[in-house]
Amino acid sequence: MRALAAKRSRVVYRASGAVVIGLIFFLPVLYAVMIAFEQPAHFLRNPLAPPLHPAFGNFVLAWRAANLGEELLNTVLYSVVASATSTVLGLLIAFPLARRLIRRASAVYGALAAGLFLPFAIIPLFVEARFLHLYDNRIGYIILHVEPGLPLAVVLLTAFISSVPREMDEAAVLDGAGYLRYLVAVIVPLTWPALLISFLYGFLAVWNDIIGPVVFLVRPSLFPVTRGIYNFYGANQSEWTLLAAAIILASLPVVVLFIASQRQLMQSTIAGATKG
Amino acid sequence: MALAPHRPAETLDTRKGADQRAQAARLLDNRSRVAMWLGLTLGLGVYGMFGLVPAAANVAVSATNYSGLAGSSISFTGLHNYVALFTTERPGFVASLLATVIFVISVSLAQNAFALVLAHRLQGTGRVAAALRVLVFLPIVLGVTIVGLIWILIFDPSQGPAEAIANAFGLHSAFLGSYAGAMPIVILVQIWQNVGFSTLVFVGGLRAINPDIYEAASIDGAGSWRRFASITFPLLAPSMTVNLLLAFVGSLTTYNLIYVLTSGLYRTDTLGMLAFNSAFGTSADLGYGAAVSVVLFLVALGTALPLMAALRHRERRLLPA
Repeated sequence: MRALAAKRSRVVYRASGAVVIGLIFFLPVLYAVMIAFEQPAHFLRNPLAPPLHPAFGNFVLAWRAANLGEELLNTVLYSVVASATSTVLGLLIAFPLARRLIRRASAVYGALAAGLFLPFAIIPLFVEARFLHLYDNRIGYIILHVEPGLPLAVVLLTAFISSVPREMDEAAVLDGAGYLRYLVAVIVPLTWPALLISFLYGFLAVWNDIIGPVVFLVRPSLFPVTRGIYNFYGANQSEWTLLAAAIILASLPVVVLFIASQRQLMQSTIAGATKG
Repeated sequence: MALAPHRPAETLDTRKGADQRAQAARLLDNRSRVAMWLGLTLGLGVYGMFGLVPAAANVAVSATNYSGLAGSSISFTGLHNYVALFTTERPGFVASLLATVIFVISVSLAQNAFALVLAHRLQGTGRVAAALRVLVFLPIVLGVTIVGLIWILIFDPSQGPAEAIANAFGLHSAFLGSYAGAMPIVILVQIWQNVGFSTLVFVGGLRAINPDIYEAASIDGAGSWRRFASITFPLLAPSMTVNLLLAFVGSLTTYNLIYVLTSGLYRTDTLGMLAFNSAFGTSADLGYGAAVSVVLFLVALGTALPLMAALRHRERRLLPA
């Protein structure tokens, strides 16, 4: 009887913990969603009351007012191309390092891993971007966002490639496969999880960058959605229903991507922690 | 935000270099060797040009009065920008240093304490735990701009819910627009934004602990607090190293969330924020901003390396191989 009571209290304790955690992380998001569905007049009368007659009009207005379409397209272009390039370059660096095909492979690896901790040198990068004509244009913006993803890509891929047996290299040579064909046909499929994680983390970093667009871009037609929505906030601080709707629309694509890839992303992050 | 390399050297093949390279060289024909070097050169070139060169160029820029504005002249000013850090010519550096210390220490400790509690609850393999892990990770996916704007709405002094709650207790605050409110809120949101990653690292650490140890301790009569203090906490040392280092270096060097929330106003201008504002915000003084960045880099190096050494030492003490 006492054991049963203890078990019941443990269940209640655990359930209440789950509810508290859920509230801490869900309420702020829910609040923004709630405002986005408010009628502006109702919101002004009582900002904290839930929307009894949810309105979709805010989303239409926000989409028209905030130039979200163009900004989201820019963001997708920047994030996909920059992160894919980092991942590919990461593979091209990681394979010779993991196989020690060059002298001082450990030193080169160390210099790259240090990049995980180096502060982003934004001021000299700004000078460099101006000098190399990478300033205020799409290609330049993408090129500037390739480097930040390299350290993680190299660290992850070197670890994964090291676990691919060297005998596979030798077999490929006997088969007459060239270097690039070997990488694409053998190493890429075997290190797929590391490639995906490297891509996803790089993608999120570029997608969510706010400092980069402030420093490197001037023309609004080049803005990614982060700077677009931040400026939209500056111009519409009093129109909360419009602002909240724009916030929801701006984050929908990346939330959908996250939900689609969460299993892989979460598992790899959990596993990566204990690998060392 | 990144997965830390735990013991970098071990992820590389440890066989002696020379014979291995000879063997590898035999393996690659000329065309393959050219392809390999092209790929390496391209990758390392990008890293050098946009990673290492700017990091080093900070020092060069910091010795000038460059403004970055079109048509402005550049002249060499030596150590002038560094002298200005500590004189009344450009006040604010010492306050910024203080803000950095408060921000970094609060975030590093509180984020990991909170992450540990979350991980303890969410380490299970059940559906609820998995769903909550996704939820806790969501702010990282949403990013600093969205997260910052949501919290700006929550802490709005006229119509936000935080004000309503404060009013219920007879309190009033301008929150992000006040000296008393800005720094605590910035710390809170920084933790809310990033705790999901630390939590996952701890979940990995918790799952790596052999359950037999807990069972043996229970048989010996150890209560749940005792099991946590004597087993879980010490055996989590490797995850603790990773998490403390990432939170420490992350809060020391990044300022993107602070930019969105306060732009560094109300004494929330940590060194990174001050460097940015000097160059691109309140003034267009790239030289001074670069000098602040160099100091930030030295502070990061001078504190993170001893911290890493201490944490590694702690690991060896707690987990003798």
